[in-house]
Amino acid sequence: MDNQKSKRERNERLKISLIVALYNFAESVESLAHSVIEVMEALGDPFELVFIDDGSTDGTYEKLGVLGREDNRIRVVKMRSSFGESAALDAGLRYSEGQRIVYFSGRVRVNPKEIPKFLDALSEGKDLIVGWRSPRRDSLLNRWISRMFNGLVSRMLKVKLHDINSGIIVTYRSVLQRISFYGDLYNFIPVLAGQQGYRVAEEKIEQLPGSFRKSRYPREYLQRLLDIVTVFFLSRYSKKPIHFLGFLGTLFVFAGAGIEIYLFIYRILGMGPIAGRPLLILGALLLVIGIQMISIGLLGEMIIFTHAGDIEEYNIEEIIN
Amino acid sequence: MNPHREKVSLSVVVPVCNERENVRLLYHAIKNVLEGMEDSYEIVFVDDGSTDGTREILQEVAQKDVRFRAILFRKNFGQSAALAAGFSRSRGDIVVTMDGDLQNDPEDISLLIQKIQEGYDVVSGWRKNRKDRVLARKVPSRIANCLICSVTDVRLHDTGCALKAFRREVIDRIRLYGELHRFIPSLARVEGARISEVVVRHHPRRFGRSKYNLSRTFRVLMDLFSLNLFLKYLRNPLRLFGKIGAYFLFVGLLVACAATYLLLTEKATFFDLNVLVTLVFLLFVAGFQFLFIGLIASLIVKTGERRGGTLRPYLSYQKRGKDG
Repeated sequence: MDNQKSKRERNERLKISLIVALYNFAESVESLAHSVIEVMEALGDPFELVFIDDGSTDGTYEKLGVLGREDNRIRVVKMRSSFGESAALDAGLRYSEGQRIVYFSGRVRVNPKEIPKFLDALSEGKDLIVGWRSPRRDSLLNRWISRMFNGLVSRMLKVKLHDINSGIIVTYRSVLQRISFYGDLYNFIPVLAGQQGYRVAEEKIEQLPGSFRKSRYPREYLQRLLDIVTVFFLSRYSKKPIHFLGFLGTLFVFAGAGIEIYLFIYRILGMGPIAGRPLLILGALLLVIGIQMISIGLLGEMIIFTHAGDIEEYNIEEIIN
Repeated sequence: MNPHREKVSLSVVVPVCNERENVRLLYHAIKNVLEGMEDSYEIVFVDDGSTDGTREILQEVAQKDVRFRAILFRKNFGQSAALAAGFSRSRGDIVVTMDGDLQNDPEDISLLIQKIQEGYDVVSGWRKNRKDRVLARKVPSRIANCLICSVTDVRLHDTGCALKAFRREVIDRIRLYGELHRFIPSLARVEGARISEVVVRHHPRRFGRSKYNLSRTFRVLMDLFSLNLFLKYLRNPLRLFGKIGAYFLFVGLLVACAATYLLLTEKATFFDLNVLVTLVFLLFVAGFQFLFIGLIASLIVKTGERRGGTLRPYLSYQKRGKDG
């Protein structure tokens, strides 16, 4: 109880950096800025607002410039072209100074009134809070896909979150500095944080109308799927690729060798020709795949081993004395 | 003044995970032994994400004793990680490691230190009279020990014993990750360490549950397999992969010649030739693959060398060996 109170008091002194990634958002950037500032002023904690213009072409940057000159709590960072949300968040971290980070992107219209709720959860001892759009207002198809995606993620990566890429994350600077998110892995920040031992929670947010994705390309889903595999692999076997690839490879080699030995005996005993049998090709295929897996696993081991000096695979919460 | 900066002569590093009943007893036992022998020492407990209240006990002990350091992980990261954290956050000239389950006897620390002072860099305990179940633990441990020793050129009776002593120079050169803690003597050997062992006592487990299980056998074998290759070929991986690749290509070429001969002399049916062609295909694919992997491997080693990974201490040991 006492502990929690002191955490809350300590937190109140930590500056909040609100990092907002925007792409072609000229229409409503002003209203967004004003409503965020209104909410934050009511809250009373020190804050700054960092807008990242991710290569917009519709004059978003000019409008942001005006806002930035009016209010010195607003900072504007313009990317040279569109680099995506991982890069935007990274730039936002670099050009902000608060220890508490509120990140969201223009693509999900987060109601700024929800932000204090997230900060509260942070003060209650959580390390990272992610939004959960509920109820969803997307099309039925998008809802289904999202549910399948999140279900898959929680099954494979053993996290219990409903909406990991809801687009709003509230956390401490130290947490984000600890996780390496690059490319599309930004979608998995809550998962990566959980794997580092941070306490991750979710808060329901209202999905404002007009925040639906216009189109989703099939390519994007494949990308997501590969991302899951990446995170799974990185988290479970990144230090020991041979444990995974060596195991699979050994299975394949044994299966392939078994088939070929069977065929060899079959032929030697004169039980018939084997050349026309698909089994022969299958055996060869299994052997090739198996050898390939083991070799790649060894290669992975080699990378880890030679770069082991850079690795710190643990995360210390506290050192006493 | 940062008190953590100053050196001490001895650090005792103990990784623990869910050892609620044991930690306090172990702490007092170690403390008793060290008070009698060393003037400057520290005790470092690394908590590997315990959930049973071990953390709270460690916090409590640390508040009372400034020579006790508690390192608390955010979650369970494994024994190698715990040891690595303990090594890098301890400051003794000599570092002693032991298990948190009270099966090692802190009284034996002085035996290890004596041996270190005789001039050895690494001293391992040898549980000559081991108090564990035979089939579940002693036999697998014995087999693993034989394998590890024969593969990595370390002559120890009991590499699995957690009670070990190291000189700081050796500790600083070893990079522990994954499950490499089983191979610490082997890794130290590569760095040119002089290794010895002393017979230590071993007690049956009193509290808590053993965390050992047999399902790790395959992973240990794989580790051993790759470690063996690394230690031999790390400086020139192309020599390993290139050799294997060349064998495959050579045999493939032979089979191809044989097939051509059979075809020209019409000694074999098309059907049998097909089998040979499949074989040639398999051998060539595998052979080329090994060659290319060897090339990439040497690239990796080169870049690792430049960035100062594990390889550098290894190379510098080679130099040290030449100097004397």
